[in-house]
Amino acid sequence: MIRFQAVDKHYGSFHVLKDIHLAVHQGEVVVVVGPSGSGKSTLLRCINRLETIASGELTVNEVRVNDKKTDINKLRRDIGMVFQHFNLYPHKKVIENITLAPIKVLGLSKQEAEETALFYLEKVGIRDKAGAYPAQLSGGQQQRVAIARGLAMKPKIMLFDEPTSALDPEMVGEVLDVMKTLAREGMTMVVVTHEMGFAREVADRVVFMDQGRILEEATPAEFFANPREERARAFLSRLIRHG
Amino acid sequence: MLDFTILTDNFGTYLRGFGNTAYASVLALAGSFLLGTLLAVFRITPVKPLQWIGTAYVEFVRNIPLLLVVYLFFLGLPSIGVVLSPFACGTLGLAVYTAAFIAEAVRAGILSVPKGQMEAARSSGLSYGMTMRLVILPQAVKIVIPPLNNQFINLIKNSSILSVISGFDLMFYADRIASDTYVVFSTYIFAGLFYLLLTLPLSYATGWLERRLARHD
Repeated sequence: MIRFQAVDKHYGSFHVLKDIHLAVHQGEVVVVVGPSGSGKSTLLRCINRLETIASGELTVNEVRVNDKKTDINKLRRDIGMVFQHFNLYPHKKVIENITLAPIKVLGLSKQEAEETALFYLEKVGIRDKAGAYPAQLSGGQQQRVAIARGLAMKPKIMLFDEPTSALDPEMVGEVLDVMKTLAREGMTMVVVTHEMGFAREVADRVVFMDQGRILEEATPAEFFANPREERARAFLSRLIRHG
Repeated sequence: MLDFTILTDNFGTYLRGFGNTAYASVLALAGSFLLGTLLAVFRITPVKPLQWIGTAYVEFVRNIPLLLVVYLFFLGLPSIGVVLSPFACGTLGLAVYTAAFIAEAVRAGILSVPKGQMEAARSSGLSYGMTMRLVILPQAVKIVIPPLNNQFINLIKNSSILSVISGFDLMFYADRIASDTYVVFSTYIFAGLFYLLLTLPLSYATGWLERRLARHD
């Protein structure tokens, strides 16, 4: 569904992505891990063209993401995204946050869109918050709204960019639980995270990045038990030491 | 001290001027807000030619005197065969001039909306225009209300420029009353009070709007 072939990207003289090759298939959950600044968020953001690539080829559902002829708005309908800082619209109620794109982009009626929104709010466990404003919710609740907002477009792929990094520790679990449910239901997911427990439990594959390169790609069992790369071993041992 | 017979004897004249000033202000206010917002969006779009138009407009218009902008319509337009009433010329000049300042205020407001808002909306498939209209501008407006209030107050006071080109505004009639009665001080004091009648409620209204829009933060 998603295919990177020899993708490179620079920020000025900084080489963020180096010769990336990666394929994500339908129904797969790929978790991208690595130290800060390794390029994992950039990699993720290229998939829906929040970042452009300098060279190489990146396709989603056989469509070239960076082709000038590609209707990016159309492509993005099929790719939901969840951000570290939720990015809910503060001036809109929870339900309006979720119905905005289905109404404006997919052309659903307000009633249809609200039914869909309530269905997904139920799914993430906060249907009773439909009429609240984002500022009235906890971080964990806001992130679950953000997930519901992504799902309401009925996307084929969901991208998660450090979805639990901005949360208080006691709220991480509720967000991860929603993501686990999604994964079990067969959603294609690419997840950038520092939650190794999630990676171990849910990922079909773990991708380890450092300094703009994919250094290792393995099943979680292999990756956590026996990382081949020295830098991956160092990364994991640091995580374990600091709990 | 204050000669109240000036007010009572010329109340109708004052009122006519007040009405015209209010009318010119409301028209210019609406026009400059729409034009200013459009220019602000021009300046921040990724489309280069639009950026140039926005920047050129703002830098040109805000750096010349209001009087010259008004003259552009009052004296400039007739030279290409378009003759508008002094009132129309003054109002247009006001709107065009104030739009440059509003554009900068609105642009600052747009830039202060977190980048993630644009990213979230765009990644859900909304176009740039829809994102601006539905997500960014409603949030920017909230931030922009206090500086906009400033601009609108300036606009109302600047509308006295109409008197220079016989635009039948409050100041124009005040001048007339002063030259008819030779009572200068009281005449202009009352004119000033009529201006306050427009500007103070405006400040009050924007203050109310500001509090109302802030209630979900």
